[in-house]
Amino acid sequence: MSQPLILGIETSCDETAIGIVKGRTLLANEIASSVEEHARFGGVVPEIASRAHLEAIIPALDRALNSAKVSLRDIDAVAVTAGPGLVGALLVGTSSAAGLALALDKPLFGVNHLAAHISVDYLTHDRAIEPTIALLVSGGHSSILQINDITSSVTSLGSTMDDAAGEAFDKIARVMGLGFPGGPAVDLEAKSGDANAINFPRGLTQAEDWRIRPYDFSFSGLKTAVARYLESTPTYKRADVAASFQEAIVDVLLQKSLAACQATGIESLVIAGGVAANSRLRQLAEERCADVGVRLRIPSPILCTDNGAMVAALGSLMSSAGRAPSAIDFSATSSLEVTTVSVS
Amino acid sequence: MSALLAIDTSTSRTSVALIADNQVLWSEFEDGVNAHAEAVPRLVQRALLINNEISRVIVGMGPGPYTGLRTGIAFAQAFAWARNIELTGVCSLDAIACTASEYIAATDARRKEIYWALYKEGKRVNGPHVNLPTEVSGTHFVGEGAHKYGLCADATYPEVSRFHLLSLVDQPMYLRRPDAVPTVER
Repeated sequence: MSQPLILGIETSCDETAIGIVKGRTLLANEIASSVEEHARFGGVVPEIASRAHLEAIIPALDRALNSAKVSLRDIDAVAVTAGPGLVGALLVGTSSAAGLALALDKPLFGVNHLAAHISVDYLTHDRAIEPTIALLVSGGHSSILQINDITSSVTSLGSTMDDAAGEAFDKIARVMGLGFPGGPAVDLEAKSGDANAINFPRGLTQAEDWRIRPYDFSFSGLKTAVARYLESTPTYKRADVAASFQEAIVDVLLQKSLAACQATGIESLVIAGGVAANSRLRQLAEERCADVGVRLRIPSPILCTDNGAMVAALGSLMSSAGRAPSAIDFSATSSLEVTTVSVS
Repeated sequence: MSALLAIDTSTSRTSVALIADNQVLWSEFEDGVNAHAEAVPRLVQRALLINNEISRVIVGMGPGPYTGLRTGIAFAQAFAWARNIELTGVCSLDAIACTASEYIAATDARRKEIYWALYKEGKRVNGPHVNLPTEVSGTHFVGEGAHKYGLCADATYPEVSRFHLLSLVDQPMYLRRPDAVPTVER
């Protein structure tokens, strides 16, 4: 069989996104975001997101087909995010995907949003990278994974015990009045700040932590430390706080990821998820990976935040690997485990 | 033979029908408050085995609990788009049958409220609205929402087999705004 042509649908949060991939080649990546509708609420409002998905999805499908310059008849399979995510939002995507699959009489792959974040890297690199360690960091998730085969074997080595990394960015941005979403706002503010101005705590990096939970994260202490600092220092420099906070998060993410590489003997690291678009994380990851001889891969920023190309990419890998498609009436799962690559 | 595909997910009942030449070719339903997303593809898959040549999709635009309602609409619009056929919507309340000359059709709106509309001589003359049952007065009630609050003896549901006879609606009928409070008002 020639390389499969896969249409991917992502609606797990506030992005209505369609991707089209042929084999490992990206043909279209259309994203409609409702983020501006959520900004005044300080976070994503599920019902607003769901309504926006229903309105945006057909126009996004149209744009994706046009920019990919393919005919719908040539699509070999439909892939869709089955979870994790907001259930009302997920269901717009899965129901649309089922409608497409039945209308076209094509197989349907319900795939894991988190595995899709990682598999998007496969679009930019031909060479197999498995096994690899993956640092998955987004607004809802922060984990260190071992990937032996992205279509079937994902093992969790550790994850956050409280906030996700992206969530910590959002919360800190809110207390500093930087707006929503917090990730890009903090990143921008930090560019003019001194990352060493304030020594914020690195969660779970005491000797005892390294022994018991070496690959787990905790960001709630950091969040509290920043809030306390802001209260006790009325004359604080916003850029310095942003830079120092960002440095604390990025430092601990990389310390633990590289510790996982060392412990497993796997000299490859993929960083994926929305926080992987953070410029300081990308820069420091390059430096530290180069220092210890670990091959680093980070998708381009537009492929780090939620998109449809990543879903199509995982669908393509599943299809090429001969994995069984999902049942047409599969269930979306808002709390789908990171180790469940696809649903039956 | 080409047929219309009618889908409704506005109540706890997911209904799908094939209609050809104003006749019901096939009709099935599944009950379950949170089962729409699975039931729709299952039922449509069966329908397509009966007749795969679909000329139009008609979907219930509600009013109905949002998440379930959207699964039907999302499925219908994607199916119609992929087949390049027309998609039309109807008000689901209009499809609840009643022989009385004047009646109120009501479905469950959750939060102790009902979605309702008033009908006279087969025409909707007021609504749809969303209210507490005690705020709605009428002599004759039908529908799952009316039944839930003891306003009628049996629960009846929108009949998708009548969808092709109803006037058209082009937007989901949410009737409520999303619950959310802007940060500045907290």
